[in-house]
Order: sequence, then C-alpha cells, then structure tokens
Amino acid sequence: MEFPAALFPSYFTAGPPREEGGPAPVAGWGEHGQVLEAGPGRRQAQPAFVPRRGATGERWEAAEAAAVPVLLPSAGCWIPSPAPQDILYRSSLCRKLRAGKSGATLDFAKQLGHFFVDHPEDAFGSLGRLLHKNFYLGNAKLKRPARNSTIRMTALMEDIDRLEARRGCPRQHLASRLRWFSHLCRDWLFEVPLGLLADCLHEELAQQWSSLLFDDSLTGGALAWLPPEDGKTPVGRLVHPGGQAMNHLYFQDVVLEELPHARGSPAQFELSGRIRQVAAARVDGQDFVGVRSDYHCGVWRVPGKTGAAPAPLQVIRTDVPASCLTVSPHLPGELSVCTQSGTVYLWSVETGLQQLRHDPQTMFFRDHSPWRWSDFTAHPRVLSCADRTGLQCLDARAPKRCHFDLFKVGEEAGCQQGERVVLPMYLGRAHPSQYLVTTQFSMYVLDERLPLVPVLKWAHMMKAPPLFAHLMPGKTGRSHKVLLGASRTQELLLLQYRDSFWGVSSGGSQSACQLAGTAQKLHSIAGCLQHLPTQLPHRHHLLQQRLSAPAAGLAATLQEDGPRKSMLIFQLSEAGDVFCQRLVHKAAQPPAPPSRDEATTAPGSSPLFEAPASSPHGLGTAALRYRRWLRALSRAWREPPQHTWPPSLSQRRLFTRRDLEGPAGPSSLQKQMRQRLRQTMQEGGRIQHWEPLALQLPPLPQTRELAGGPDPLSNRLTAAWAGDWDQWWEDRTSFSVAQRQRALRERRRRQKRAQGRRSLSASFTSSLTYQSELSELSDVGPSLLSPGRPPVLSQEGSPPAGSPPVRSHPPSPAPEEALLSSQSLRCRGIPKERRKTLRDYLSVWAEGPPEPPELPGSQASQLCFPSSQSQLSSASQPRRKRPRMGF
Amino acid sequence: SSNEHKLNFKKSKEVCLSYIQDALLQKQWKRAAEFLTCYVESLEKDYSREHIGPSEMIWRIGTEILWHHSQSRMKEFNCFMEQMKTLGVKRYLKVCLEHVFHLLCNGQIDEAYQNLSLAESWRFGEQTAIQDKEIKLIQAYRGLLDYCSWSKQKKILLEHGEDGFADLAVEQEMHGYFRKAAVNLKEIIKIPGVWDVFMKCYVDLLEFYGEHNEARQVLNEYAYNSKFPVNPNAHVYLYQFLKRQGESKKSLISALKILHDIVPSHELMIDFNTMLQKSKKRKKRQLGLEVIFAALDYAGWKENAKAWSCLARQVKQIVISEKHLDWLKQEWNSRKDWWPDFHFSHYLAKRNWQENKSLSWEKALVAGILLGKDCKYFKYVSHQGCKARLKRFRMLKKFVTRHNPVYLRISG
Repeated sequence: MEFPAALFPSYFTAGPPREEGGPAPVAGWGEHGQVLEAGPGRRQAQPAFVPRRGATGERWEAAEAAAVPVLLPSAGCWIPSPAPQDILYRSSLCRKLRAGKSGATLDFAKQLGHFFVDHPEDAFGSLGRLLHKNFYLGNAKLKRPARNSTIRMTALMEDIDRLEARRGCPRQHLASRLRWFSHLCRDWLFEVPLGLLADCLHEELAQQWSSLLFDDSLTGGALAWLPPEDGKTPVGRLVHPGGQAMNHLYFQDVVLEELPHARGSPAQFELSGRIRQVAAARVDGQDFVGVRSDYHCGVWRVPGKTGAAPAPLQVIRTDVPASCLTVSPHLPGELSVCTQSGTVYLWSVETGLQQLRHDPQTMFFRDHSPWRWSDFTAHPRVLSCADRTGLQCLDARAPKRCHFDLFKVGEEAGCQQGERVVLPMYLGRAHPSQYLVTTQFSMYVLDERLPLVPVLKWAHMMKAPPLFAHLMPGKTGRSHKVLLGASRTQELLLLQYRDSFWGVSSGGSQSACQLAGTAQKLHSIAGCLQHLPTQLPHRHHLLQQRLSAPAAGLAATLQEDGPRKSMLIFQLSEAGDVFCQRLVHKAAQPPAPPSRDEATTAPGSSPLFEAPASSPHGLGTAALRYRRWLRALSRAWREPPQHTWPPSLSQRRLFTRRDLEGPAGPSSLQKQMRQRLRQTMQEGGRIQHWEPLALQLPPLPQTRELAGGPDPLSNRLTAAWAGDWDQWWEDRTSFSVAQRQRALRERRRRQKRAQGRRSLSASFTSSLTYQSELSELSDVGPSLLSPGRPPVLSQEGSPPAGSPPVRSHPPSPAPEEALLSSQSLRCRGIPKERRKTLRDYLSVWAEGPPEPPELPGSQASQLCFPSSQSQLSSASQPRRKRPRMGF
Repeated sequence: SSNEHKLNFKKSKEVCLSYIQDALLQKQWKRAAEFLTCYVESLEKDYSREHIGPSEMIWRIGTEILWHHSQSRMKEFNCFMEQMKTLGVKRYLKVCLEHVFHLLCNGQIDEAYQNLSLAESWRFGEQTAIQDKEIKLIQAYRGLLDYCSWSKQKKILLEHGEDGFADLAVEQEMHGYFRKAAVNLKEIIKIPGVWDVFMKCYVDLLEFYGEHNEARQVLNEYAYNSKFPVNPNAHVYLYQFLKRQGESKKSLISALKILHDIVPSHELMIDFNTMLQKSKKRKKRQLGLEVIFAALDYAGWKENAKAWSCLARQVKQIVISEKHLDWLKQEWNSRKDWWPDFHFSHYLAKRNWQENKSLSWEKALVAGILLGKDCKYFKYVSHQGCKARLKRFRMLKKFVTRHNPVYLRISG
C-alpha cells in the first residue's frame, strides 16, 4: 500500500500531555482540523482543498425504530450483576460527608452482615454448635444459676432491630449491649478470624466497585460474526456466550434476511469459566475463533463451508487472569495472549507459547492498571503491545531488541491529562498498516509507518469508554466504517473514515486519512423499551433491568446485493441477549428536504407495534419478533429455579409466641405523644423541643464534673501514677456497707419523685440506656465515688436530695437571656461591636442542643452489661428513672 | 434559594445540551438548531469552570449544524463565525482558522485569503502570544495561498512565454507572491511537525529560483532533525529532490537505505531493489535481496506482482549462477517457519491462480526454489499451468525440477 503523498499538517511536540481537560460533551463537533490541497487539481484554475473532518460521508439510515432480538432468551434465570446501590452506603449523613470529597463510601458493614446471615455455617459453624447451650432464645427471665452461663438473645435481637431503625440518625447512641457482646466475642466467635475476613471482604468490595465504575475484563467484546465464505449464501455464523454464568459458547447459524434469524440449533460448548471475550479472524478461508475467560483461553477452528462443525483446537490455562486474546489475520492458528501480570505471548497452535515480553510495569509512565493488550500488525512477526499508557510494536523474532513506539499518551498525539488507552485494534482489513486506538475521550487512527503521530484524531464524546470496536472495510474509494461501543451505557457510534479521497475515478490512490460524514448514534438495546407494549409495573421493572444490562459485545456485517446495501449490527448484552439492527444505505442524493430528513430518523417515528401499511399480516416482522421474545422471557420468569431461593427457617422454633407478638395497641405514652402532635399541627405551631426533659442532653457534664472535683477515672489514674493503686482499689471495694445502703435509699427516693414528674422522659431515656438488673451495682458508682458532693453529675438525672425540684436541664433560658441582654454584656466589659457576634453565637447554642460528646471508652465498656429484663415488656410501661451510669 | 436556582439552571443547561447532542448524533439538524437557540441563554450566567465553556460549545455546535442544515447558506455561516470570533478572545484565532478552512473547502479562496490576512493582524495583548501556534498556522496557510497564486502566475507566464510575449507586470506580481509565500513557509517548517504541504511548496519555490542549496538544506533538516517525527515523506521528498538534481546513484541509494530502515514496506522499495540489482557491487545486490524479502514480509505486499517478479528474477539469477546461495539461505532462515503458511498455502495457490496467473507464476517459482518441488503452492500452480497447456508454466516446472537440490542446500 502506498504511503500518502502528503499528510495533513500538524505540530509535533514530545512530552507528557499538557492540555488539561476532561470529558467534554461537544469536543468532537464543529472542527475541520486541517485542510490539505487535494492533489491532482493542478489543471484546475483554483486549487481544491479537502478537510480532515467534515467531508461528506455515506448516508446510512436505521430501518427500524429500535434494535430487535435475534435469538430467544435463554431459559435460565439471569442474575444481574451488582448495582451501585447494592454496595454503596447511602444515608443523609454520608451524603453530607461525601459532598466535600469525591468518592463513594462502600457499605462494608452491610455486606459483612449479609455474609453472616447468608453463610452462618461458614461464619460461626463450629463455635455456634459448641455454644448453643449458652444462648437462650426464649422470652422468660433466666433463673439465677442459668444466668451465669447463658445469654438471652431476644434482647440482643431487639437492640439490633433498633439500631437498624435508627440508621443514619446523627444522634445514634451506642447500643451498649451490642457493644458489650461484640467486645466479648469478636475474638473467638468467628470461624475465620474477623480481621482477615473483613480484609478479604473489603478487598472484594473495592474490586466490585472499581469494576462497576469501569470493567475492563470485557474489552474486545464477546460477540463475533463469521461471514459466509463466498458472500453469496446469506448464512453466517454468530459466536456468542450464553447460559446462566455465560460459560457456554454457541456457534449459531444465522440467515440474513430483512431481519436475521437463527437457523437450526447451535453448536454448543460448555466452558469452565465466564466468557469474557470472543475474537475471530479469517485466514485462508477458515475462521479461527479465540475465546478468553479469566484463567483459560481456547481456540476453535471453523471451516469456511456452511454447516461445518467448529472444532476445538487447544486450550491454555493462565495463573493470572488473561486480559487479551487476539487472533492473527495472517497465519492460521496464531494468537496473541496477554495476562494481567504484564506478560505477552505469541500463541501458536502448532508450536505453543512464546513469551515476548514480561514487564509488570507500564511502558511510558506509571499507571496502576494491570490491563494489557496485544494485537497483530502488518508484519506477521511484529506484534503490538499496549497498556494504558500507549502502544509498542515488537518483533517476535527478537522481542528485546527490535521494537518501536507506536502510540504514546502524551503531547505527541495531543492527548489530554488523564487520558488512557482503552482499546487498540488492528485495522488490517481496511488498510494493512493502520491501527485504531480508543481512549476514554478520543479515537485515533495510527499508521505504523508514521509512529506516534496519529493520522486521524477525533473526540468521540461517548459517556462511557468504548470497550468494543468493529471495522467494516469499504471497497476502493468508499469509506471504511468503524463502530464504537461502550459497555455500561450501551452506546453505539458509527464513524466513517477514508484513506483515498479522490474516488474511484482517479484510481483511489492513497491519501491522508480523513473522517467522512458525522458520527451517528445507533439504537441501544435499552432503547426498545419505549416501543414495547405496556407492562405490569414489576414486569416493566424486570424488563428494564434486563434490557439495560451492560453491553458485552459487538459485531456487524455489510450486506450488498446489487444496488441495495445494508448494514447489520449485532449487540450482545451481559444478560446474554443478542439484539440486531439494520441500517440501509441511501445512495448519494441531494440533501433531502428537512421534513423528510427528520421524519425518517426521528425516534419513535415508526413505532414497532403499529401495523405498517405494507405488511399483509398486520404486524411487522420486528413486532412479531418482540412478541415471541417477550413470551419466552416471561416463561423464563415464571419458573424460578429452585436453588436460587435462600433456605427458609421456621421462626416458630426460635421464638415463643409472645416474642413474636407485637404490642397490643399504642401505649399510653404513644397516645399522649400523638395527641400532642395533632394539637400542635392544628395550632400550626411547632415542637421545637420534643419535650424538654425527654431530650437527652449529655453535653457539658464533664466540664461541670471537672469543676466539682477530679472524676473517678482521674482519681484512679492519679493513684496508679503515684504507685498506690492498691490502696485505691482497697478503698473502693471496702466501702462501708452502711454508706452503700444510704446511697441506695437516697436514690430510690429520688427515683420515686422523678417517676411522678416525668414519666415520658424516663421511658425515653430508659430505652436508650438499657437498664439491667446488674446495673444496680454500677449505679452505686457515682454516689459512691464522690461521697463528698451531691450527685448532680447526670444531666437527665434528678436533682440532689433536698434541693428544690427545679428544672435543672436544659439550662433554663433565663440566665442565657440575661447573658444576651446588652446591659449585661456591657457590664462584662464587652465592646459594643462584639456584642452582636456574641449574641449570635450564644443564640446558636440556645437553638439546638450540641452534639453529644463521644463517650470515653471505659464508660462505654461499662455500659455493656447483660440484661435479663425483657425489653419488649418494659418498653410499653414507664420505666424507673435512673441517673446515667458512668463516671 | 439563589444557590438552588443556580443548580436548577445548571441542570436544565445540561439537559438541553444532552438533547442537542442527541439530535446531532442522529443528524436531526433542525431539532438541534431549535435546542441551540434555547441553549444560548446559558451564556448569560456562565459559572462553569469546565475547560469547554458554553461559548465554545455554541461555536462548535452551531458550526456543525450550519455545515449540515439544509437551509444554511454561506452568508449565514460567515455571519455566525464573525459573532463567534467576538464571543471568545481565547480562541479567536482558532475560530478564524476554522472559518478559513471552511471557506477553502468550499472553494472561496479569495475570501479565505482575506480572512487569513485579517487574522494575522489581530492583536490582543498577551492572548496573541498564547495563541502562537494558531498564528503560525495562519501565516503558513497564507503562504500556501500565496504559493497557489504564484504557481498560477507562473503558468500564465510560461504559456505566454512560449509565444515570446513576456509581461513584466505579471512577472513582478509573481515575484511578489514568491516573496510573501517564502517568508511565511520558511517559518513554519522550522518548527517540529508534519509540514508536507508547506515543504513541497517551499522546495518548489526555491528550485524555481535556483536556490538548490537552501532547498537541500531544508529537506535534510526536515528528514534528519530528531525533533521532527519520523516522517517517511521527508525522506521521499529528499530522494525525489536528489533525483531531480541528477545526483549520483550512491547518494540516491543512501537516501533510500534510510527510508528502507524506517519503513521497509514503502512502495519505493521496488525502485530501490531495481537500483541495487543493477549494481555491480556484491554487497549492494545482497542488500537488494534483503530489501525485497523485507517488503514481502508485509501483508500489504502479499499480492504485489511487481515485487514478486523482482524477487523471482533475483532468485532465478542466484540459482542459475549458483553463486551466493548463502544469501538466499540467510534470508530464508528467519522466514522458513512462517512464509509457507503466509504466502504459499494451498488456499492462496488456488486463489492466486484464479485471480492473477502471472503473480502465481512468480510466486510458484520462488516457492519451488525455496521449498522444493513438493511444496503445495508449486505443485498446485504447475499442475494447473500444465493442465491449461501454458508453455510458461511447463518451463517453470522444468526449471524447478532441475534446480531442486538448491532447496536442500538452502533449508539444510
């Protein structure tokens, strides 16, 4: 092939990309790029110029309003891959957190919880069996001897439920019992050490998330079209994966008619892994099909004759997942394989594997991605190797010595910062020395005779990086068509480019590459949803889920019978569906009147389910195809495979009837609250403080305590520091019984008074603080440890004995207001201009209670005492009020 | 709420943009134009810090629509472009350049030239310096158009010159164009890049005025400066220049040798091979064999009958003279494991025979010598040839059978 006599002008600079940027939604429009004097126009008076982009291309128009299914859906149930909402943590709190920095929060705890629930045997099997005597699932109180060795699980379960209900609540308090339980048993309860399990799970989650963002294992696509050999018989073959795990390989004969349809049953092979990529090339009239799964690659030979059975030739196994498999278009039975460890092999069915390169590092600059790619070039012994940073060509005969850089993400190709290679493809069928390289922003056409300088560049503006590409070479003088396909968004783009623009008349001599026509968006699979008949909502949802599954492959073929030319494009989805659309070539005609122009291409202009006038059967073939497909799909939905349901457990054996019974009706407390709510709503007022005393306001106690004297912990630490900790302990334990009794009596008196005064707040707090029988002991603590001062340390606590029953909390607004008055401020010597600031500041404090301070660890652990009191029964009745425990 | 308003505004802007994008990708130019008129509002409150702001988007989308819209006229396009130039100072020259490109592609050379001159004189503080690359290109394209005028004048002058009528005014005008073109073209080709068009024009100008030394220097710089990309055309231009200058075989060969080293598959390799075969030096003839073997390694040459005949001729010479069989052996060694499948398969024998008989003859000769008379390709082609009673093929069979021992010596 000749080298073009003159190339489009361009600057050439070496170095890293300078241009900052990102995905630009319109970067591909409105530019000619450069112009070139069109060669043999010397005889003309005026020189003629051709643009790099913007020349007229061929007109292709969609024949149908949407893509149409080619094959019936497989019988097996399809399990959709995880969606972002499955693994991300979503709550208002988190959204706030996330607003600052980008990046998602993985819902690690939920997933770990799922694991424990779904695989209890694996998680706790043996210890669960050992300890099952020590867990009590009933409702009754445990008797003394049993209590020593048995834990009541009912209360624990309730706590868990409550915790779940309050998820995301900023005022969430520690569930002491849970904390205690987990503290006690996280070291030994788990079959797999929890740290290790968590590490593995987190790693898996992070990987799932990154593959959700961008899954490069699908690069290249898992769909191949083997055209009929002579091009006369309209029967080709579609190679595609299928089955529930996408581990079945099908070779399906397809008859190309108005709409292609399957003929006969497919040749089928069951493989031992999910099929990631299917690559095919035709050498000497035979098709070689390479199939890549994560750890296995295989090659099949398909003889050119229609109906001949495909024969498996060889399989290789890799230790590291393979990331690429391409089939040589030059030599039969030759393939190239790349693994994620950075190794490139030339794989010949006859001679085996030849390692060409092993380099875990990327080529031109450091990039973390282990993705590697390799393809063939114009020279059968020279292979290209790619990673995210660029492409190199190396000679298989001397891979270490002979190599050159073909493409670099850098200033040489005018790349943007952050641009990365997504898919390289050899365009040998169109031009033996041309190469396609796509990045997330642009597509480049390269000529290996002019390395590093792209002969064509265009910003494709796709929303997701194009993982699939397909080339349909045009004959002399006609444009080559390239399809780009994205996975997650199912985008499909048709581009045309030309490498001889003087047409057939001048022999179609080689010239610089130019883009022809504008890019054209084709139907995606999901686009047909709007044309389908209305479904029941849940059906619609299922259908939507199915149809919008990420694309997994792309194939296409040009069909020419006489003057009628059409293009058939197949798209494979991850659910295993193969859809097809037909484009019809409109012969060069003067630009049609706009009304027609828009009418034929506007979406929905030819609804699938409206009877076309031409069809005698009343419905178009496409509509019939859809009918059948939908029917088969609903049949598949109707019979769910048995093993997909989780095993169910009878709850009756675990809980008594009383356990499962809900409260009979709203408690008096609830009634009271409802009434108040209703009243406030009628009045149009608002409840600013739900109930002043109901609010748990734990703030500030610490500071007050400190003011009162050193807290017990400080005491203890001081003692320990001084070396007489023994003495301290002695003092503490040998506290006189009389004093203890006095303290108890005092507290009971206080409680009585409190009960009478504010039952609501008492029950509210009690449900949060989880009283227990055993906490009697700890309750003694405060009064015990600070015998010299009145026990005012608790916020919601009752006032000390003898003191008048004033509302001690929240701090009455009176002093605050006094504080805010300008007079008092002046008295304090605060300058006038600062008074407002201070007032604003203080009013903020008055408006809402500050966040509860973090409980110190020792306190938290002390809160964890087992409860033997039924939470269910106690929740419905007003509780005794107790001072908060702790120091 | 102003924040909310801002957010809503941004959202609706994005939605509008996605509608436009959709329409453009489906070639619904009219619909896109309608949406674009709404999108223009986004200019009012441009808070975006994206690297393509709304004004650039409007320029790009608007241009694209006007290219394709069935009712757009050149006048409207020019008008739109003028507005777009004032909309963004940062890309003033880029818009100018694109405008010029469009005029050029539509054959409006004079308007394009005017626009180039205007753009060249544009000054806007430091923005002029920032858009240095564009200004250089604008000058270069102006130089190119000056060159076009020059060559037009030259043609007139030459035609009239034959009549013995020399117009002094025309001649002076022509020299004027030369000076203008040369100044601008000379500048751009100093900067690293691909400047094939400008280079050709400049060299043409220099040659016409007899400044061969400068032309040679410029061409050498373009071909050998390491800051420039490895452009095969640079070497081709140098080679063609040397040929026009009637340089010695030696310098021609050395120019082509470098081209062979960087692009072994270049079409000039046939010329190179012929040149080397004619040489008396053994080394050169060996290089010739190397060159033709290397060219035929490439998929693009697979069916190149000319190249195959070059190889067949040289192989035949070697076999007949029985000298330098080691050359053949050396070349064959690195190819014997894949050439048979690549060139000499049964499938290809059939196809070549059907499509191009003389190609299959040349290839069969090479196959017969290199692989012996039992190779699939040779057997098929000679059999078919004999069946068709073609004398050429019968001779071929005889020749290969006679020289079959060569095959053993080569492959041994």
